[in-house]
Amino acid sequence: MLTKDSLTINSLAENFDMSRPAVSKHIKILYSAGFISIEDIGRERYCMLKQDGFDELQNWINFFDSFWKNKMKKLETLLNNKINKK
Amino acid sequence: MNRTIKQNFFYSHTPEVVWEFLTNAELIAQWLMPNDFQPVVGHDFTFRIRPIPEFEFDGIIYCKVLEMIPHKRLSYSWKGGPGDGRINLDSVVEWTLTKKDNGTELSLVHSGLMENVSIYNAMTKGWMENMAKIAGLIKPTTNGTTKA
Repeated sequence: MLTKDSLTINSLAENFDMSRPAVSKHIKILYSAGFISIEDIGRERYCMLKQDGFDELQNWINFFDSFWKNKMKKLETLLNNKINKK
Repeated sequence: MNRTIKQNFFYSHTPEVVWEFLTNAELIAQWLMPNDFQPVVGHDFTFRIRPIPEFEFDGIIYCKVLEMIPHKRLSYSWKGGPGDGRINLDSVVEWTLTKKDNGTELSLVHSGLMENVSIYNAMTKGWMENMAKIAGLIKPTTNGTTKA
């Protein structure tokens, strides 16, 4: 049964023109990386997207973005102090 | 999902001075992190920082000098992991110095940041597009915890 909140593995296979075993393989990878959760309801497996899986990826970028901004500013202070000491 | 960080900074100092601060281990430690950098292409060195358990990072960044053009360009690989041999951060840092009339423009490109999340190793580019389609087809839930 197709709902807006989750998709079954079979309907995923249909939507992406991919064989069911291929979809299953990808679903397993997505699941182990924390991007989706899987529920067995009756004879079907339902997949749901987990937003916090994506958020974790984005945090790695955010971390280094702030990190580098911080460090570049620190370098500026250091360079300016060096000049001031002369 | 952006995989590269690009930042530019202007310093009112000559490229030669800025270069010193990028290539002298003691000077580098004063603004970046403790390290054993040497300005030799192929040299392996590390940076030490606090561990970040949430990112499965033990605080040691493993680097190798990849490219060096004095006063102009410096790049090194930047890798990290939980400390058990696994690498979950496999990126490259590139510095470019451009001489300006009254100083130096320092540009940083930190690339490859997303590539070593294990999910991406197993995916092909085509599947990336499918992920976007899935995101459109399924409403996300937020009541789970990640396993990564």
